[in-house]
Amino acid sequence: MIEIAGLKKKFKLTKDHKKNKVDDIDPREDKDYFHSVRNVSFSCAKGEVLGLLGPNGAGKTTTLRMLSTALKPDEGSITIAENDIVKKPLLGRKSIGFLSGSTGLYGRLTVKENIEYFAKLHGMNKKDIASRCEELFTMLDMHKFIDKRAENLSTGMKQKANIARAVVHHPDVVVLDEPTTGLDIMTTQTVINFIKGLKEQGTPVIFSTHHLDEVALLCDRVAVINEGVSCFDGTVDEFKKAGNSEELNQAFINILTEKQDV
Amino acid sequence: MFEVFKKELKELLRDKKTLLFVVALPVVIFPLLFAVMAFISSQAALDADQKVNTYVIINGEYAQEFTDKVFYHKSFELYKGSKTFNTIEELKAGVIAGDIDMGIYLPSDAKQTLNDEKQSKWQVVFNDSKSINFLFERVKELAKEYSDNLQKEQLISFGIDMSAHAALLNPVDVIKVDTADKRENLGEKMGGFLPYLLIPLVLMGATYPAIDLGAGEKERGTLETLLLTPITRTELVLGKFLTLLTTSIASTTITVLSMGCWVALALAFADLDVIKTAFSSLAVTDLLMIFVLLLPLAAIFSSLALAISIYARTFKEAQNYMAPLSMGVFFPIIISILPNMELTAKTAFIPVTNVALAIKDIIKGTVDYTFVGLIFLATALIAGALLAFCVKWFNREDVLFR
Repeated sequence: MIEIAGLKKKFKLTKDHKKNKVDDIDPREDKDYFHSVRNVSFSCAKGEVLGLLGPNGAGKTTTLRMLSTALKPDEGSITIAENDIVKKPLLGRKSIGFLSGSTGLYGRLTVKENIEYFAKLHGMNKKDIASRCEELFTMLDMHKFIDKRAENLSTGMKQKANIARAVVHHPDVVVLDEPTTGLDIMTTQTVINFIKGLKEQGTPVIFSTHHLDEVALLCDRVAVINEGVSCFDGTVDEFKKAGNSEELNQAFINILTEKQDV
Repeated sequence: MFEVFKKELKELLRDKKTLLFVVALPVVIFPLLFAVMAFISSQAALDADQKVNTYVIINGEYAQEFTDKVFYHKSFELYKGSKTFNTIEELKAGVIAGDIDMGIYLPSDAKQTLNDEKQSKWQVVFNDSKSINFLFERVKELAKEYSDNLQKEQLISFGIDMSAHAALLNPVDVIKVDTADKRENLGEKMGGFLPYLLIPLVLMGATYPAIDLGAGEKERGTLETLLLTPITRTELVLGKFLTLLTTSIASTTITVLSMGCWVALALAFADLDVIKTAFSSLAVTDLLMIFVLLLPLAAIFSSLALAISIYARTFKEAQNYMAPLSMGVFFPIIISILPNMELTAKTAFIPVTNVALAIKDIIKGTVDYTFVGLIFLATALIAGALLAFCVKWFNREDVLFR
């Protein structure tokens, strides 16, 4: 179970940004700071898949980066198995498997070398690394390209390798930032099946997406962020009810519009 | 930390650009460049030496012995063209037009002036803009022979015995008794050049891989992946730092070894006594001491380059930041070759300059080991402080996620 409560994160505005600032265009900007995440809370229990939704620039990636411990929140807590990973980031890195568009692979290493390297950094021994790699290569159908250098892979192959890298250490929680963006149908299906597999194993999965058909297919819960603030956290049915529509796209638009009107 | 170090090294060894900078450049390209430069300059000197210059002498008949000497000299050939030269201005015009290479103007009273106890002023007109030009020296040599003969004849005519000529012309002869041995003399010249070669190599060995390890990782998105692993930032920085230290030292060692091989090869074909003497006077312990002094310097450069690289957003931005660093390193090396700059208790604390001065003294064989210890300590302290700064730098979100 992972619980996120009252997360806040602000970034200092650069001189250039202040100089070119257009007044009152974004309510999250004050004189010196951009308040990217102002108050975000949600939770995801064992065996649940949570879809994190929000328009572009809503603060999803910053929130997920805080979950991955790459960024430290200014306020709030992130709890996994009763441990606040904001206070214990090294423990958090062992517990979370994170994948986003900004997490790349080493191009001059082969796929196998990449996965083994990250497994070693997670403190796994040789025997465990070998068996886990074999398991992941089979699960994600990667055997054909494990000895290829990462720089020579197609987008789909890279994403599979990245997923293997993210979960090689058996994380307690998996966080995926737009994992199917830019992928073909076949690779998208592999990713979806993989998320389903994690769910069956009881691993909580949080993933951000703009594809609401994936939400319908995979998610038990939905959390919506808009302008850095949580504006919905509940089950998929509750999401439809709150958005006054059976169609997820419409429900999402209605929730955002309603919040903006308020 | 060692996992990071091993991985970084493996990746760098698979990078063609790094191999070019760290291995190919010092092993093949640098010696090849030096060889080409040496060949071109020796060829230019040979051409200048063998060149036959066309000349004209005005009033040559007033110093016939000198005129004959010039005529029979292998480097000079009398102008056989149709133009006539009677004045200095005409000689200048002839040289500018390329009709002649040199014109000598003797005053009409060239010999008579000596009898009148006056000095005769001769003028040599030529183009002195070429860097290698033996023309004027050769004319001066011939004129001196002529002048010495006149001097001798005059003294004899005064009834002065030949044996007294030297004492009369040079009543005081100052003889240099140099306490510096050959090594010290050569060291003064070579020792100033060696830091110029070694210190930038140490820097170059660190900067290029540093750009890849910091800004390159940011640009490729692998830095964020690395930050998600349960290793501390200190371990991460140390892993990267050790990689840079290794490439920096490896690049320098490879270059020095390569140069050594090339010099040995050159000596096998050419009899260069000066170089033989210089190298034979250097002991293995001297080379080891230079290596030990370069270690903390490599640590300073590695920390600085890593800190700069991690601050940069992109590979290109990092390259731009590295240029001032190179300038900043050359400046203290230049200080070390300024006149009267010596290794003292004060200069031992000036980073880079201290190592450059120490290398010079090691080559000369006059190094004070107390200063070497002091330099090692001072440089190591600075390297440690910069490494600590680097760790702190790696902990700042505004640096990592600019």
